[in-house]
Amino acid sequence: TVRAPGEDPDGGWGWVLVAAFFVCNSLIYGLMRVFGIFFVEFVQYFEESAQAISWISSIGVATQQSTGAALGNAYGARVVVMAGGLLAGLGLILASQATSLFHLYLSMGVMSGLGWGLIFSPMMATVIAHFTRRRTLALGVSLSSIGLSAFAFNPLFQMLKEMYTWRGALLISGALSFNIIPCGALIQPKKPSLAAERLSVLFERPYITYVIAASLFNAGYFVPYFHLVAHSRQVGFSEYQAAFVLSAAGATDILGRIFSGWFSDLGHFRLIHLLAVWTALTGLSILLLPVSSLTALYPALMVVSSVYGFCSGALTSLVFAVLPQIVGVSRVMGALGLFQMIESGAGLIGTPLSGFLRDITGDYVASFMMAGSCLILGSLTLGTLPHFFSCTLRNILNTVAIKTKHGPNEQRAT
Amino acid sequence: MSVSCLHFSSQLLLLLSFHRHVNTISENTTSITEPRVETPAPKTPPLAPLIPTQTAQRNVLLTGENHTEEIEVVNPVVLNLECIWPGNGKRLPNITGYWTKDGQTIETSYSNIQLENDLYRLIREFTIMNEDDLGNYSCLFGPKAKVKFIVAAPHLGEVRDKPIVSYVGDSVVMVCKMDEKKPQPISWNWYIQNGTNKVQIESDSNAHKYKITKDGNKTKLLVYNLTESDSGVYYCGAVYAVAISMGYMQLRVITYYEPLKPFMGILAEVVILVAVILLYEKIGSRKHGESAGTEENKDETNNLSHRDNDVAVAHSSTRQRKV
Repeated sequence: TVRAPGEDPDGGWGWVLVAAFFVCNSLIYGLMRVFGIFFVEFVQYFEESAQAISWISSIGVATQQSTGAALGNAYGARVVVMAGGLLAGLGLILASQATSLFHLYLSMGVMSGLGWGLIFSPMMATVIAHFTRRRTLALGVSLSSIGLSAFAFNPLFQMLKEMYTWRGALLISGALSFNIIPCGALIQPKKPSLAAERLSVLFERPYITYVIAASLFNAGYFVPYFHLVAHSRQVGFSEYQAAFVLSAAGATDILGRIFSGWFSDLGHFRLIHLLAVWTALTGLSILLLPVSSLTALYPALMVVSSVYGFCSGALTSLVFAVLPQIVGVSRVMGALGLFQMIESGAGLIGTPLSGFLRDITGDYVASFMMAGSCLILGSLTLGTLPHFFSCTLRNILNTVAIKTKHGPNEQRAT
Repeated sequence: MSVSCLHFSSQLLLLLSFHRHVNTISENTTSITEPRVETPAPKTPPLAPLIPTQTAQRNVLLTGENHTEEIEVVNPVVLNLECIWPGNGKRLPNITGYWTKDGQTIETSYSNIQLENDLYRLIREFTIMNEDDLGNYSCLFGPKAKVKFIVAAPHLGEVRDKPIVSYVGDSVVMVCKMDEKKPQPISWNWYIQNGTNKVQIESDSNAHKYKITKDGNKTKLLVYNLTESDSGVYYCGAVYAVAISMGYMQLRVITYYEPLKPFMGILAEVVILVAVILLYEKIGSRKHGESAGTEENKDETNNLSHRDNDVAVAHSSTRQRKV
């Protein structure tokens, strides 16, 4: 389809890419979450400790975050995503043949992790580039697959595990991961006309501020997912009740992503304001979690947990949608890679820190306090972004455009 | 042969203790007070000592019409079972009571029960020596009331209902666990089903194929170099002095062809999708190439810059929006 000059890309092929991103997300994160099912099998088969086995996913996550969109800039999103799909699938197929734990580290951890890293950032940057008015909704829908697929894949993988054991299940999930390749093929091949000027972004104040804010978000964001079940049980609820609390958060997370996406794109408020509100609410709900559970009222805990899920999902859609407003769409690809690296580093620190707090205080109250405060602090940090208190974006972009008009390799026209 | 000697000597002991229901026995006769309901060939070797050293008592006051009591037996024991029934209001002066084992009536157990202090009482002693003595013992008050005692060796906890799957050439681990709260077995045995028999697995003579580890209340059977003929039902037996308590699991050995079928199917689907997308694109670009020339490329780069400045002053006439 040829677009008339001056028209915003919105809808049309963009939605096809949203569907492709949706599929990619479920095949990356859905699979990652489901591999918990194989955990017990690995422990038994390889006769290793639980900690040694959990390194597989740690390596996978670490490799994924560090590759990022660097290559996407250089070679174009399409080739990179297709290569990523190939690598991820191959890694899982090789993992099915593993005869030692080290094989699993290399195949599932390094190879698949590398593949996944090559998929997420370029794919997200492409979706961002294809939408303007409906950007947040598009992102919300694409990211909602992460929660949905975990629901769907769980019973599927139970069945695969029972029929073919973990080896067969890994083999088949490798083939499933290859479906990322046609998803990548849907991206139009574009000659990347933009120079890789990623590092210049690093020194701009808005970007730095935003990265700091996002890192604070990330430090607190995952804490409830890790500790909510244990905390509920410690307060006295049964295993089923505790698991259900987390499921409620997971379900409202999906709703939050889509709702926030739709609502943001209505245009009543600036995205950055909405992000600040959602993150503050998330922080608040995390602070309320220990309070509600200490009242030992199950409905109270369920309500707060659902609110937390909804708000945390809502903020996820926005976090990525705001990025192009800070650095400009042309630089999103590069900025995204750096952004993810730094903010995920914060996440890697935040969760062990919360565990440490739990160990020295004996319960999770301090951990939740820390997590909630991080989010609220991050929300306040957003307030220091230039022109935060202005009601329209017009002024900001004008200012930014004027400032960088004469910068090196500037692509934007006024 | 040794079993009937066992029973004979145990009956001698009973005679010496002051048992109410014992009939007089002459030393030469082999008829005994408790006619055995069945006399099958002994399945378990007599691990028990000749004279049971333990006695145990169970009294049950029946409140309704039925009650079930579970008795866990580890070593040979003399069980003294007593049933007390307050009657059903009719207050008959005497009723008929008797005992059954596994549904079969014990003929010599019929007795007239007198109502004493508003209660009917049935009491009997049972010798539990080996597996054949285990089972369901019931005391019956006429046709009205019944107490069932389930006398058994400790049951194995988790029975895996789904078969264990493994691949040809791979190895597999089968685990049996006895609950920690229950008494620890003396030893563990593993058996494989061959037709209708259970054949015990000897790990010493087949060290390259089987390895059995016994660790208190847990046991593992490792089978190496699996072949399809290794598929079948396996039993683990917790060995106690009185009997061997069995658990079973099913092993299924499959070849790699099984998961390969869906794998190839998905692979084919991926290849077809990619081919279709690439073909569609080739056809589409050929059409556009003929009509629009290099228009598309120019549009792409224009759109890129337009997206950045969606509220830029220059284009404010077409798009007025707050972001």
